[in-house]
Order: sequence, then structure tokens, then C-alpha cells
Amino acid sequence: MTRNTTRRRSVGAVSAAAALALVLTACGANDKDDSATGSPAAAQQGGTLHILTSAPSINWDPATSQNLAITTLGLVERRLTAWQTNSDGSTEVVPDLATDTGTASDDGKTWTYTLKDGVAFEDGTPITSQDVKYSVERSFAPELTGGLSYHKSLLTGGDDYAGPYDGKTLDSIETPDDKTIVFHLDSAYGDWPWIVSMPAFGAVPEDKDDVSTYTTTPVATGPYKVADTQEGTSVTLERNDAWDQSTDEARTAGPDSVVFELGQDESVVAQRLIADAGDDQNAFGATFVPAAQLAQVQNDANAKERLVTSGPGALAYLAINTEAEGLDDVKVREALQYAVDKQAFQVASGGAIAGDLATMLITPGIPGREEYDLYPAEPSGDPDKAKDLLADAGWKDRPLRLVVPDDAPTRAKAEAIEQGLKRAGLTVKIVTQPAEVWTQTVTQGDGSKYDLTLSSWQPDFPSANGNIQPLFASSQIGDGGYNLSRYSNADVDALIEQATQETDTDAAAALWAQADRAIGLDAPVVPLIYTKNSFLHGSKVQNFEIPDFPAYPNYLKVSLAP
Amino acid sequence: MNALRFVGTRLTSMVFVLLAVSLLTYAIFVLLPADPAQLACGRPCTPERLETARAFMGLDQNFLVQWWNFVTGIFTGRTFGSAGAEITCPAPCLGYSFVLRQPVTDLIVGRLPVTFSIALGAAVLWLLAGVAAGVVAAVRRGTTVDRAIMVTAITGVSAPSYLVGLLGILLFGFTLDMVPVNGYVPFTTSPVDWAWHLVLPWCVLAFLSAAIYARLTRAQMLDALGSEYVRTARAKGITERRVVTRHALRNVMVPVVTLFGLDLGVLLGGTVITEKVFSMAGLGALLLDAVGNTDVPLLVGVTFFSAALIVVANLLVDVVYGVMDPRVRA
Repeated sequence: MTRNTTRRRSVGAVSAAAALALVLTACGANDKDDSATGSPAAAQQGGTLHILTSAPSINWDPATSQNLAITTLGLVERRLTAWQTNSDGSTEVVPDLATDTGTASDDGKTWTYTLKDGVAFEDGTPITSQDVKYSVERSFAPELTGGLSYHKSLLTGGDDYAGPYDGKTLDSIETPDDKTIVFHLDSAYGDWPWIVSMPAFGAVPEDKDDVSTYTTTPVATGPYKVADTQEGTSVTLERNDAWDQSTDEARTAGPDSVVFELGQDESVVAQRLIADAGDDQNAFGATFVPAAQLAQVQNDANAKERLVTSGPGALAYLAINTEAEGLDDVKVREALQYAVDKQAFQVASGGAIAGDLATMLITPGIPGREEYDLYPAEPSGDPDKAKDLLADAGWKDRPLRLVVPDDAPTRAKAEAIEQGLKRAGLTVKIVTQPAEVWTQTVTQGDGSKYDLTLSSWQPDFPSANGNIQPLFASSQIGDGGYNLSRYSNADVDALIEQATQETDTDAAAALWAQADRAIGLDAPVVPLIYTKNSFLHGSKVQNFEIPDFPAYPNYLKVSLAP
Repeated sequence: MNALRFVGTRLTSMVFVLLAVSLLTYAIFVLLPADPAQLACGRPCTPERLETARAFMGLDQNFLVQWWNFVTGIFTGRTFGSAGAEITCPAPCLGYSFVLRQPVTDLIVGRLPVTFSIALGAAVLWLLAGVAAGVVAAVRRGTTVDRAIMVTAITGVSAPSYLVGLLGILLFGFTLDMVPVNGYVPFTTSPVDWAWHLVLPWCVLAFLSAAIYARLTRAQMLDALGSEYVRTARAKGITERRVVTRHALRNVMVPVVTLFGLDLGVLLGGTVITEKVFSMAGLGALLLDAVGNTDVPLLVGVTFFSAALIVVANLLVDVVYGVMDPRVRA
């Protein structure tokens, strides 16, 4: 039995493969209250907030969404738990629809939640545990794939369940009464409180469910409801009167309405926010500021004040295919650690504002992280040492295929890697592929088509589990997994399993740190930089803050000056 | 009777062209190594879930079967998924976008007003400006006016639309603050705002295309002005203005209208770059997003629709041709 009010770990991870990041992320850490005290300090009320995004549409269906808990969907749909972002940059899991973040029993294999009093759908109907169960069940339907799916392999019987539409229910979710919901897992899972902050763990009323329209007309449980949708152009949210601030500690619901302006060009968005005229004073950009406008902002004192750059976030890394000929020798992989020019990579990524140099796998802002460098060298590397290691290993020079997605920024980064390795006498052949093809090359099949690849990763929830397990567990090789190094070490797998099942936060964090070091010694990847994201907002936007994790603003707390 | 048979033959060949276009589009996307189910698989993605997504999207079938389902769907509509959670796509069904979770037909219809507003306004503008400039240049051949018009025309032909669009926004939107920067306002909401938001994209598109028309008109006009019938007209004492507008221009317009019909057909299929730069959700933006998302049903649907527009435009041009030039009808 563990209470998890301050737990912060989890399992998901987000590949930086561009598209995923789109709409969903943003977290703002702005309020100064202690999360344990309930409702946050009242934010300035009123006004119309404009959110400018390049996304062409918003998918409100919780079953098919990959939204982070603190962005778009969080404004309309509550879940069992939510993310509280604090002024010190930390992010913790807090109760949302539930009264706590979960009570574990049966050694962490059973998790029980009780719903709060006073939580209701937009029509005033109280939310029951059956509504939550139904919402989770429908995420298993073949018609509703595409969302965050961590729970599908964790819940008992999940692998064989195909959703509620044929009349079947998932027996590992019990609802003994209208307020109580119990989840039975196949094995202990300490980060379960983070899993139930994902979109599918909201509430969907069965009688209002239509799989073809829920994506545009969801039933609101949060402070806003969808009032108007202009396909491809805008979505307008207005206040949901059935929402009660006193039941919600994660949202401040400052603006009276929120307008998403869709399909915006990133450069134009940045220019509008730099100009800061009219409604744009009440706007922020949901997409990263492009490099050209970043440079422009540096010379504009007014705009610079409204530029918010995250702390170091996602890990950008060079994955070494540990099954490839020659690269199965740890000495060769160590040589690569020294041969890579991280500084050149940083410059190719946009310079210091684009990220800090990385030396390890767990990203900043994740509890339990210990900072160290297993392969100390100058930021530009140590080619001589790399040459020595390669000579020791008896490396027979063969061209290394560096396979990357075909876009200009990635090509520049790949060239930075190529130049760096060349100094140590290594030959690199850059192979570019369309993004989707690249995803298949490195995540499906036998991995025989690449030696090296570039990727980046930000966990789907703030736990070292989310950094380590998806990238380094041997179960994640091929078949859509993101173990791009095809790294397999039985000791590490055992350590990952042990840490995953540990329900004590501190003990788990220590185990993850141990795993990080063990993997680091095998050198399956070269950590390059922890990337930073920059966002612009208008002059009347307040409480626009980015926590250490994730590197996105928290939409749920943004308010507007009168 | 001849005219009817002419139209009938054209209509039949139209159907075959469209069938070929849809088959070709399907074939191209099947040959691509990318798997659209990958994006619909969720994260983490297991092989079983990938298979489920593939089956739901109909990707597990032979591509000829997929194509045939597409063709029949246009007439009978389609249904996806199992009972209780089925998604229907009523006829005329041009496919279903699993990324945007909407029937492609609805998406196209929803975006037509935007693309039509941009395309028609720009087309009128460039036709007027292009032809007028061409006529003036021809009449004032060899003068500074002629040279100025032709230099501007060459600039317009050569300039990348993305650059011109962004420069236009920067100059007229941000610096001079004369027009809205971007966004689309429906005509029904406010006709004034509608036009006000469209002025800049119209001008940008017109600048790019008018150039071709100016050059074409100038060349044709010079040709006409040197011809026998113009000399005859002048000899009869008709004013020069009347010679140019009534006699020469009418002949000049035949090739211009041919080009115009085709250009308009292409433009109605989506003004990709202009829509993107001005953040207007038209067919072009829809197509661009479909490419980015490997949204094959949407790609096929929109491509098919655009092809249909061009084929129809071709037909209309031929008909108008007959009206303008009695010799064709004979």
C-alpha cells in the first residue's frame, strides 16, 4: 500500500520523430502553491486566449489522442490524475477526477481509485466509475487506435480485448460502486499513477459515444467545452458551467474562452507574436519558434522578453546498431563516444539556445537523475583517443550507414556527425529516407539496413522509466519499438523489470540511475544534447511557464492580463 | 447534333481519364515503402496492434481491391469497422481520412469555399491585369512602358511564390499594416472582412500568374496588329481603339482563354503554397497535410478531385472555344 501523492515516474516516452510533438505538449509551471493544499491561487479571470498552432485539426477523442496531460485536451477532458507543474520547475502527478493518485495493493498489481464528489459532464450528469471504465475500454477498439497505449499491455486481458462495441467488457477493470474503480495489472507497475493521467483515463458517457463524431464533439469534463469548430481553421472553447474549480487543483481556467487558430505557418506565427498587435497580445504559439525568428528575437528587446525557452528537455542521441558488423564490439562503440563532435552537433542544431551538451541518458527534470560523464572529453570530442580504441579493437574500416529522416535540419546534424567521425578515420555514408520510411527502417524488421541513426526522445511522462525502458529494454527491439540500438543485455533487462515494479518512488529512482550507468558502460548510444524548445507569447499572456519536464508550456494555467 | 456528340465523346473519355488517375494514385502510394497504419498504431506500437490498424483501414487487402472499393464507394458509399462502432462514409464517398477521422468528401466540400475564394479572385485579377498589360505593351511596342511591363512580368514568372507571399505579408501586413496578416473569414460571416483578408493572396497569386498572360497577350497582339484584317479595318477608318479592342483582341483571347481555363482548373484543385503562407485552410493546405501524415485516402481523394476539376476545365475550354471561334464549330 503506497500513497503516491508525490510520485513522479512513468513509462512513456515520446520519440522526437517530429509529428508526434505537434499539438499536445505544453506545460506551464507557474503557480506557487503547494500542490498538497488543493486549489491553486486564483488566476486572473476573463479574456479570450488565442493559441496559434500549425496542426490542421484537433482530435478530441481520448482513445486516439497522444496529448500530454498539460496541453490541449487537458482543457476539456479531465482524467483520473493530472500533472501539477511547480514554480521550482518540478512536475508531479496530482489527483484530478480521483481523490488521490492511486492506492496500490497486491504488491503493486492492483490500483484503486475513488472519484471526487462534484465532478460532472457538461450537461450536469455526475461522472461515475462506469464512465471511466467505458472510456478506457473503448481505447481497445480497432476503430479507435492511435492513442497512448501503455495501459493496453499492462491491464490483465488487455492483449485479447477488442473494445466494448461488441458487448464485451474488460474484466480487469472493476467498478464495485459508482465512485470506485479498480485496475488489475499483469505485473506490478510503480508508475501507474502517471498512466492514468493519459487521455484514455478520462470519462466518456456511453450514450453520447459516436466513434465518428467524438473526435470533434467530445463531452466536456474540464473547465471548457468545445463551442465551435471551423474545420481546418479554428476551434473555439467556452466555459463549461458544470466544472467546479474547487474540485480541480491542476487548472486555473483564467480565460473566458480559448480560440485555437489552426494550420498556421510557423514563420508567420512567430512574426505575428513578435509584432504583438491586437488579438495577438492575447496569443501564444504552440509550435517552436523557427531558427530564423529566434535570431531575430535576439535583437528585439521587446520580443525577447516574451520568448520562453525551456530547460534542457528531450535527449538527442546517436544510436549505434549493436547488432551490426564490428559495432557489436564495445570498444568500437566507446571509440564512437570520443570521436563524435558534440559541439558541432550543437551548432548544427541551432547553437546554445537549441540545447545543452548531454553525457547521460536520463533527461534533466526527472527524479533520481545523477549527473556524470563516462567518457570525459572536450565538447568537440577526442579523436586521438578514438583512434587508439579503434586500433585496439582491430577495426577494419568499412563505411557506416547513418540513416536519417530526409529534412534539412536533420541532414545538417548528420553532416556534423559525419565530420566528427571522419577525424578518427571512420567513414560515414549518410542515407536519407522520407520520415515514415525511416521510422520503419529503424523500428521494424531485423535492423540490417542501418549502422547508425539520429533520434531524440522525451518521455510521455516524467519518470526515468520513460527514458530507459522504451530505448534499451530488449523487448523494444524491432516490431515498432524504439530500441534503435537493438541493445540487449540480460542484466539490464532484469534491472529495468525490477525498477518498473518498484512502487517506492525513491527506491525506483535509485534503480533507474543504476540502469542508466550500466547501459552507459555498454555505449549503445552517444548522448548528444538535451534539446531546448523556444516559444513566443503575446504581451498580455500571463503564467506562461515551462517546467523542467516536459519542455512545453502548461496550457492549463495560462491567464490573460485585463 | 454534332455538338452533342462532341460533348458525349468528351464525357466518356473523361470517365476513363478519372479511372486511370485514381488507379495510378493508388499504385503510387502502394509502391511507397511507408505504411500509413504506422501512424494509426499508437504508442507503444506492437505488431498485433499494427495488424489491427491495418485491417481496419483496409490496408491488408490487395491494392486493386482497395482501388475498386474506392471507385464503388463514389456511387454506393462505404462503411468501416464493425457493428456498434461503424463509421459510415455516404455516397459520393471519396474515401475516409483515418487521420482527421472524417469522410474525404466532407473535408473537400468544407474547404472548397476557401480555395474558390482565393482562386477566382486571383484569376479575375490576373486575367484583367495580364491582358491589359499585354495589350498596352503591344500597342506601345519598344517604348519604356513596354520594357517596364515585360521586366515586371519576368520578375513575376521567376519569383518563388513562397518568397513573394512572405515578403508581401512582411511589407503590407507587418510594416505598413495595411491588410490582415493571415487567416480566412467566410463570406457569409462578413463579405467585407472576407475580401479584406483575401486582397493580399489575390495580389500575390495574380502577380505570379499575370506575367505569363501579359507576355502571351503581347505576342499575340503584335501578331494580330500586323495582320491583314487589321490593316483592312484601319483602312476603313475605324479608330485605333476600336481596332485593338474589337478586332485584334477578340482573336488574341482565344489562346488566352485556353490557358486560363487550364490554369483555373489547376488552381481550384488547391493553391498549396499560397494557402500555406496565408494560413488559409483550403484544398492545397489539406493536400499538404495529407502528404505530411501519409494520409493515403485523403491524398487519393483530393488528387482525384483535382484531376476531375482539370478534366472538367478542359471540357469547358473546348466549349467556350467553339463560342468564341465559329471555325471550331464547323
